[in-house]
Amino acid sequence: MARLGRRLQQNGFFLALPTIAWLFVFFVLPLVIVLVVSFMSRGRGGVAIMPFTLQHYERAFGVFFIILRRSIGLAGLTTVICLLVGYPLAFFISTRRRRLVRQITLFLVILPFWTNFLIRTYAWRILLGEQGTINGLLLSLGLIDEPITMLNTQFAVLVGLVYGFLPFMVLPIFASVERFNFRYVDAAHDLGANDIRAFLRVVLPLTMPGVLAGCALVFIPSVGAFVTPDLLGGTKGLMIGNLINKQFGGSGNMPLGSALSIVMMAVVMLSLLVYVFSIRRDRGS
Amino acid sequence: MTTFDVELVDIVKEFESRGSTVRAVDRVSVEIADGEFFALLGPSGCGKTTTLRLIAGFEQPTSGRVLIRGRAMEGIPAYHRPVNTVFQDYALFPHLTVEQNIMFGLQMEGVDKKAARKRANEALEQVRLPGVGARKPHQLSGGQQQRVALARALVKQPAVLLLDEPLGALDLKLRKNMQFELKALQRDVGITFIYVTHDQEEAITMADRIAVMNEGLMLQVGTPKEIYEHPETHFVADFIGETNFIPGMLLERSGDGYGRVKLANGPVIRAQLSHALGSAARAVTVAIRPERIGIAAASASLDSDEDGLTVLEAVLAGSQYIGTDTRYRLALGEGVELVARLQNVSNRDSAAYEVGQPVKVYWGESSATVLDQ
Repeated sequence: MARLGRRLQQNGFFLALPTIAWLFVFFVLPLVIVLVVSFMSRGRGGVAIMPFTLQHYERAFGVFFIILRRSIGLAGLTTVICLLVGYPLAFFISTRRRRLVRQITLFLVILPFWTNFLIRTYAWRILLGEQGTINGLLLSLGLIDEPITMLNTQFAVLVGLVYGFLPFMVLPIFASVERFNFRYVDAAHDLGANDIRAFLRVVLPLTMPGVLAGCALVFIPSVGAFVTPDLLGGTKGLMIGNLINKQFGGSGNMPLGSALSIVMMAVVMLSLLVYVFSIRRDRGS
Repeated sequence: MTTFDVELVDIVKEFESRGSTVRAVDRVSVEIADGEFFALLGPSGCGKTTTLRLIAGFEQPTSGRVLIRGRAMEGIPAYHRPVNTVFQDYALFPHLTVEQNIMFGLQMEGVDKKAARKRANEALEQVRLPGVGARKPHQLSGGQQQRVALARALVKQPAVLLLDEPLGALDLKLRKNMQFELKALQRDVGITFIYVTHDQEEAITMADRIAVMNEGLMLQVGTPKEIYEHPETHFVADFIGETNFIPGMLLERSGDGYGRVKLANGPVIRAQLSHALGSAARAVTVAIRPERIGIAAASASLDSDEDGLTVLEAVLAGSQYIGTDTRYRLALGEGVELVARLQNVSNRDSAAYEVGQPVKVYWGESSATVLDQ
């Protein structure tokens, strides 16, 4: 067994070769193409032609910057709300004493995945619409006199994003809290920390890896989301994902779309770097 | 005005477990004096750790009262009690350095960072572990972590220090050293120590007083000498050290605290009655420590009932050389066997008697204690 293990270690590279080849052909190469295209000019029908230019980046940081900023803002807000809702939920689930209760609640968190994301997002249209369920309920209760406009706003996008990505926040935090040794809370109390201080000084730092993983898993796909803003946001809730999506359609602009993709990726990478560094700092020297 | 640091009054702690109620601590009352080294001794699951957690405030008693320095602790959370705990697994915060761990408790009191750091380093010196403040707990050995845990608790200058099997995870040699050090430290700082252990030797060598617990009950409280020499129950006699138990019938009680017992193998002996012996007890057990039993040749002229000596006939059933001592198995007949332990004072001692040889065994009357069955 030991010898097999050593041989596997030595031959690890060969074992990974298919994956490496796959990633090179279908990830690295396309990425390089996108990068090159983003510096090319727009030709007929939106295709990329020579010469090289920086104009798409100018536009990405110019007229489209407001949409990029909105995307980051919405994704950030989504992450914060998911964290504020998800942490207590994950904490609740992982501290249930009975295993069955833990399993059932966790199952409920994952349950929405069993339905297609598109269908679930359409369902929100029914809930949030002018003649939708929520407005209908509020009107019949007499709480409002005329329907509130919720659909096709940034609010609707936010609701959709939080709804869609909440499980990605809950699951890593759940794993973190489950590993947490509650003896540390006893120790903190023993040393004079009340519940709030024990949480802030001991529980939160020690479950931070889960928090950061959850934030990354929610923020990154949120920035680039395009189904949710497309269905719920209308023009007011347009996000960079929609913008990129459009550039690759019939009357699009492939080089602009590529430039926007690169900029978005840079933003996501930057946030990933922050994530990695905060973990490093957390683990200490 | 009270001179007691910790008082437990009729403490009961019950846990719900799968629909049934388990009584972890059962009507425990005890008073622990200021500056005392008090050991809670018993097998695992006896309720000793629960008792400690009740004092610390991690658990609330089902009924009964905990008083610390005369003040009732009902409704006072752990973080407001003048006690600190050294946990069994130390529970050092893994994300903080050693120094930050020790400063934690001071900062919770509002001590400013600079003063806290100074006191943390003094505490590290006190536990003889200077210069490790910048390290993380996982970079230290088990023994060092133990000292840090001690420093973290002591730096708070608590009225009472609670220690939950603090040496349990250390190897034997380190444990012996730490026993001495802990005892010396306790004398230096003068803080009341309540020390939970399942190791009877640890309790005997360190504690001023020991409480022996079993199944939630506090069976006996006394000095190590009292506990060892005058165990009041079968359990205590058995748990602390090695003991011979001979079943018998109590024939009569004399006024001087002694009684006459007819042993299962026939002879009638005089032995000291335990304080806890039931007033109506008839079927009893006589307990004798192996080192209190002497062996003599069958021909030796030893008289029973003279000079308070008990002498019985026996056959040497076996012997075992264990270095400093030799252990002899002695058959008294009717299936009753005793173990005697004699020190090997000279080379001849260990070979003095042969297996199968008839001998006389004897002990002082005060060495035999009559206990409930």
